[in-house]
Amino acid sequence: MKAYEFHFIEIWKALPYLTEGAALTIGISFLAMLLGLVVGLALALTSQGSLRVGRWAVSAYVEIFRNTPLLIQIFFIYFGLPLLLVKLPAFASGLLALTLYSAAYNAEVFRAGLEAVPRGQREAARSTGLTAWQEARHVIVPQAVRISFPALGNNLVSLVKNSSLVSAIGMVELMFVANDISFNNFRSFEVYGAAVVYYMIIILVLSRGLALVERRLQKALA
Amino acid sequence: MRWQVIPQSLPYLLAGVRATLLLSATVLVTGTVLGVTWGLLRVFPVAALQRVMTVVVEAVRSVPLLLQMFFIFFGLPALGIQTPVFLSAVLAMTLWMGANLAEVIRGAIESIPRGQLEAGVSTGLTYGQAMRSIILPQALRRMLPPFVGLCTILIKDTSIAAIIGVFELTRAAQETIERTFRTFELYLVVAVMYFLICFPLTSLSRSLERRLGGPDHPRAVLASMAASR
Repeated sequence: MKAYEFHFIEIWKALPYLTEGAALTIGISFLAMLLGLVVGLALALTSQGSLRVGRWAVSAYVEIFRNTPLLIQIFFIYFGLPLLLVKLPAFASGLLALTLYSAAYNAEVFRAGLEAVPRGQREAARSTGLTAWQEARHVIVPQAVRISFPALGNNLVSLVKNSSLVSAIGMVELMFVANDISFNNFRSFEVYGAAVVYYMIIILVLSRGLALVERRLQKALA
Repeated sequence: MRWQVIPQSLPYLLAGVRATLLLSATVLVTGTVLGVTWGLLRVFPVAALQRVMTVVVEAVRSVPLLLQMFFIFFGLPALGIQTPVFLSAVLAMTLWMGANLAEVIRGAIESIPRGQLEAGVSTGLTYGQAMRSIILPQALRRMLPPFVGLCTILIKDTSIAAIIGVFELTRAAQETIERTFRTFELYLVVAVMYFLICFPLTSLSRSLERRLGGPDHPRAVLASMAASR
C-alpha cells in the first residue's frame, strides 16, 4: 500500500467553506437556544402552576425528549412527520428538533432554578399585594434566571456539539461542510482535523465567554 | 398508517436493541476504566500533570461525538491506523465517556473540603491512604447520580454510531425503512424502545440525587447540571 501523502494545502483551499460552516453552526445553535429558552421557561412555569394537566403534560414532554436520542427525534421530524402531517425542509426540521430538545433540558434547569428561589420571596411578593403575574415577572423569574445561568450555559455548549447531528438530514453546518469537502477531495484526515480544531475554538471561546458573564452576574448578586 | 410493519419487523428491531445494549455495555466498561484513570490523574497533586490532563479532557469534550467517529473511521487511515466501524465507534465513545466521567470524578472529589485530605495527611497517612479512606468514600456518593446520568446519555448516543454504519437499534430502523418506507411508525416505535431503556435509568439517577441531596436540593441539582458541561 502506498503511504498516505498529507496535503495540508487542501485545508487552506477549504477554509472559506469551513468557516462558513462554523458560522452556521454558531448561528443555528444560538437560534435554537433562544427559542429553546422561551419554550423551556414557559414549560417550567407551567410545571410550577396550579393546573394538574399542565404539570403532567410538561413532565411527559421533558421525559420523552430527555430519554430518546436526539438523532431519532431529528429523523422522526424530518422523515416521519411527512407521513402524518407536513414535509418540513431540512433547515426547519433541524431547527425544530434542536429547539424542542433544548427546551426540554432548559425546562429542567428553570424548574430547579424556580425551586431554588427562597420561599420567603414568594410570600413577601404576595403580601405586598402583587398579582401572580407581577410576582413571576418581577420577583421570581429574574432570580431564577440568574441562579440558572451556569446550567443554561452548559446546555448551550452541549447544543453546539449536538447541532452536528442535523448534518445527517442534510442541514448545512460545520459537520455537513466537513463531510462535503472530504467526500469530494478525499483528504479526510486534513479536513476532519480542521473541523475538530474549529469546534475546539468555538467551544473554548464560548466557555470562556460564559464564565465571564457568570462572574459578572455573581458580582451583581453579591 | 400501516402498523402491521411493526410486528413483522420486530425480531430485527430487537436484534438492534441487543446490539445497542452490547455497544453500550462495551463502552461502559472501557469508558469507565479510562474515566477513572483520567479523573484520578486530574486531581493528583502534581501541577504539570493536572494541567496536561485538563487540556486532554477539555479537548475531547469540546468535539462532537459524531465528528470523533468520522475522524477515527475516515481520518486515521491516513496515519496507517485502519479501524473497522464497530471499533471506531467504541473508540470514539470510550474517549467521550472517559472525558465526561473524569470531569464528574474531579467535580465530586473537589466538592469534599480540602481540609479533610490535609488533616488525613497530617495524621501520618500517605496521599493514597487519605484519598482511599477519607475522600473517595464520600466522593463516590456524590458521583453516583451523575454517573448514572452519563450512562443514559451513553445509551442514547450509541444511535450516532448508526451514521458511520454500525448495526444497532437506529441502524436496524433505517434498514427496515429502506424496505418498508414506513418512517413514521418505525421511528416512533424505536423512540419508545429507547425510552423504555433510558427512563428507568433517569429515574434512578434522580432518586439517588434526592436521597443524597439533603436540604439544599434544588441548588445542588443546579450545581451538578452546571458541572456536566
